[in-house]
Amino acid sequence: MSALDHAFACMSASDIRAGLAAKEFSAREIAESSLARVRALDGATHAFLETTEALALEQAAKLDAAVASGEADGLGALAGVPVAFKDNMNLAGTHTTCSSAMLANYVSPYTATCVARAIEAGGIPLGKLNMDEFAFGSSTETSAFGPSKNPWDLERVPGGSSGGSAAAVGAGLATMTLGSDTGGSIRQPGSFCGAVAVKPTYGVVSRYGVVAFGSSLDQVGPFTRSVADAALAMNAIAGRDPLDCTSQDIRTDYTANLDAGVRGMRIGIVPAFMEAKGLTAEVKAKVEEAAEHLRELGAELVEVDLPNAQAAMSAYYVLGPCEAFSNLARFDSVRYGYCDPGHKDLGGQYEASRAKGFGAEARRRIMLGSYLLSAGVYDTYYYPAQQVRTLITQDYARAYEQVDCILAPVAPRTSFKFGEVSDPTDMYLSDMFTISINIAGNGGMSLPVGLGADTNLPVGVQLISPQFKDESMLRVAAALETVYGPAPVAPLFREGADFKAPATIPDAADAVPGVDLPGLATESDVPGGVHQASSATERELSERLGAAEVVAAQVEGEAE
Amino acid sequence: MRKLEEVLQDWEAVIGLEVHAELTTLETKMFCGCKLEFGADPNTHTCPVCLGLPGALPVPNKAAIESIVLAGLATNCDIEKRSMFYRKNYMYPDMSKNFQTTQGPVAFCMRGHLDLDVDGPAAKERITAAKLAEGEEDGNAVRTAEGYTAHVGITRIHMEEDAGKMNHVGGSEGRIAGATHSLVDYNRCGTPLIELVTEPDLRTPEEARLFMQKLRQIYLALGISDCSMEEGSLRCDGNVSLRRRGDKKLGVKTELKNMNSFKNLHDGLAYEICRQAEVLEEGGQIFQETRHWDPSAKRTIVMRVKETADDYRLFPEPDLAPYDLSDEFIESVRAKLPELPDQKAARFAKAFGLSAYDARHLVEHRATANFFEACMELAGADAAKLAKPVANLAINDVTAHMNAHDDFDLEDSPLTPARAVELVRLVADDTISSKQAKEVFAAVLDEDKDPAAIVKERGMEQVSDTGAIEAVVDAVLAANPDKVEQYRGGKTGLMGFFVGQCMKEMRGQGNPKLINELLGKKLG
Repeated sequence: MSALDHAFACMSASDIRAGLAAKEFSAREIAESSLARVRALDGATHAFLETTEALALEQAAKLDAAVASGEADGLGALAGVPVAFKDNMNLAGTHTTCSSAMLANYVSPYTATCVARAIEAGGIPLGKLNMDEFAFGSSTETSAFGPSKNPWDLERVPGGSSGGSAAAVGAGLATMTLGSDTGGSIRQPGSFCGAVAVKPTYGVVSRYGVVAFGSSLDQVGPFTRSVADAALAMNAIAGRDPLDCTSQDIRTDYTANLDAGVRGMRIGIVPAFMEAKGLTAEVKAKVEEAAEHLRELGAELVEVDLPNAQAAMSAYYVLGPCEAFSNLARFDSVRYGYCDPGHKDLGGQYEASRAKGFGAEARRRIMLGSYLLSAGVYDTYYYPAQQVRTLITQDYARAYEQVDCILAPVAPRTSFKFGEVSDPTDMYLSDMFTISINIAGNGGMSLPVGLGADTNLPVGVQLISPQFKDESMLRVAAALETVYGPAPVAPLFREGADFKAPATIPDAADAVPGVDLPGLATESDVPGGVHQASSATERELSERLGAAEVVAAQVEGEAE
Repeated sequence: MRKLEEVLQDWEAVIGLEVHAELTTLETKMFCGCKLEFGADPNTHTCPVCLGLPGALPVPNKAAIESIVLAGLATNCDIEKRSMFYRKNYMYPDMSKNFQTTQGPVAFCMRGHLDLDVDGPAAKERITAAKLAEGEEDGNAVRTAEGYTAHVGITRIHMEEDAGKMNHVGGSEGRIAGATHSLVDYNRCGTPLIELVTEPDLRTPEEARLFMQKLRQIYLALGISDCSMEEGSLRCDGNVSLRRRGDKKLGVKTELKNMNSFKNLHDGLAYEICRQAEVLEEGGQIFQETRHWDPSAKRTIVMRVKETADDYRLFPEPDLAPYDLSDEFIESVRAKLPELPDQKAARFAKAFGLSAYDARHLVEHRATANFFEACMELAGADAAKLAKPVANLAINDVTAHMNAHDDFDLEDSPLTPARAVELVRLVADDTISSKQAKEVFAAVLDEDKDPAAIVKERGMEQVSDTGAIEAVVDAVLAANPDKVEQYRGGKTGLMGFFVGQCMKEMRGQGNPKLINELLGKKLG
């Protein structure tokens, strides 16, 4: 049986778990064939920055041992599910680059809570996924390691910033991936690549270990090809984390009411969104079609107003850069990260390292945030932006007095070609329908509803839930899914796919803790060079996973 | 340069302090679970949070919040029920995140005050300069019988985290100038720190010193910090400006650093006041700048000139939700307040009939206060009688000894409360004179023996036998008929001569009170 033909990553989570428990296949088979599929096909999509073969095999061995010892009933909800993570999520013993030259050689000494929970639930970690640099972008074109490609049309962008996460699921390279969403970074690529893409309410999923962009806006969520799988993923990753004091103690079974239907539910439509300039006819038609299906399924459609939502974009481009400026200040070449060699003074080393380590969009946002927070300017921008935030939050709260869920477009259009959108402010418009949800903190998701009539590319509709009632959008999504069916793997990647150009994807075996020492940095660390190839020291994985001392050793090492 | 006393005649100094205290008695750091330990190997108490690794998030230490609320309650502050953490953005290698987590316009503790009782020589500077008579007021000061009381406003006490430590290698004395490279130790990074800011209510270096001493006593009583100025767990910066006496407008201030002892705080401020006066009197201009006090050269030197205010781009810390303190929490902390130095002084005065002055100076050091209290317990029924002499012993002799010997630890010294009580009893029952008591006090410390044993060994028992003394008095008067004549002729100053002669005869052991009495009777 060829690895390519038995594509576990094209299966649903529940089928994988059931097959594993029934011993139809082993977790080792899943791990090996899924990695083989990634290596064979990802040359076309470039969703992966790194594979994590040793971790995958270690996890598979655990699962197989559990099945062998008759503990199949105790398997986690994601048992055997091929999973992968956006590369701003720390996983001990792997590189966490944020797709930036700044962190090209950075090796995580610890693991993010969301990643740990996905693995604890039985997920088999395949690797780390490409993104826009530090999540600044809507196309993955700002990745220092080159963009990912849309599996539905390799000449087009997968969206961003979680483009790798969306492309991997769209191409059937993983059953479930995690992304992060600050202004639309889960939902927009979900729409572009035809994946179910969930941004939960702020505070539902721990941010601990996820490299911050906008701390008050960032939220982690899953990409899957079915609503049921998304709910399983939510069950695995959501919940209070003592390491993130903005995480909330919300206990919900996200799978509980997926079959409840929408009869009697009130679904909000925002006329201003539907009439927005820039919304393409094919996307608008899809949203109207979904609305009509919901009405037929027994929901009541209600028009709601969000009078201040049009200011969300402005507020976002104040608050986001301000927080990013501060969050990215730690990348200073002193403790880790790219260090420009040969400087005799601290200021010179700071400037050159940051100028070369960060790409253009990252520098743009840092400069913007630095300006917006400076004395005299703060009161003109930051403070009013916070006021706008309050108003938008109130708008949503008022709307949810009338409706249970809101239906809206995700992105104004389907995927665009590489280089097609070159003006940064045009790029920012990709998030015009998603940003206000981050500003208000609500949950939002993209549900694939087939292909656009004009471009023949995937279109998603956005479902927006009240705060901490993310189960309501999943319920509506599940109802719509009965009409549209689960999201299909992109045609190019279905059975028999073969690009004859296997990817040479670095593996985390190259991730040697301690290699990222300032002073050891060389020219090859600068853009172009992905991870420095080095002969990996054979270390026990468990040792690497618990290796928090590694960092202390790095700092000491620097001292010498 | 003119002397401080002279300068203060013409100029009024306006001083404000910023006092940082590390909460050294806590188990863990401000935003992570790393252990707080002074002197550990470099970078051994670190984790992703305090190293500022990508993706790490802070979680506030509840015990630290309790400590700052204690500090606020003890300094008469309003406790703000809702306050927020802010990010103060600046880049330096010892600050791993390149922002310091601190507080914004609303701190946990706002609008407090401490009242300083200034007396003795310390009070002179201001009393003379402001020509204060008893009961009169000078701004925030009210003249009292023994000195004056100054009301010092506390603007705020806020919570923040400390930075790591830089160690510059290759230059002289660890200074950055000339160093070839620098090492960073992040063990201290994230140590909980409370910063108290005073109003510009202090007027003399003495007041500044007394304020710091009083604050230190309070923090020590609260048990929130070990308050070691030497190890840097209690640090103080001073802002000082001058204005002509009578002027209302503030002058340009300088900020003074490196005042890491009470003496340096006093001397640094005193120097800076005199320096500013000289500059201004010569028609010069004071620049807003940060100056470093160099105790060996006894002068302040410019560290950096502030042409514009530093722009720290302060904004609310999005990783930490606004902090809500419940009434229950505040009351539970209030219930934990120990007896504070002022309260202890009031109790001493009331229970033992001490003067306010004595009581205040007794509680200046925790050691002398505890010592006094232990003595009073041993004194039992005589407590009221012995309180004053024990207090004198503690305030004068013990304090002088402590000041002269840096390493002196009263609690672990040969002078136990039992010996102290024995010593003052020997004086009270006229076994030895108070002058002899000084000798015995020194001997107790030197030889680690009981006072009674020392008195016996040295044959110091005072002679209070009236017959024996009378014989000596008669002999002295008989041997100096001319002096007796002169005395009776009005030269009463000769009394000292007669007493001295009697004492000499009795090898210093005669009871001076009795000698005086008998001489008076016989000469009168």
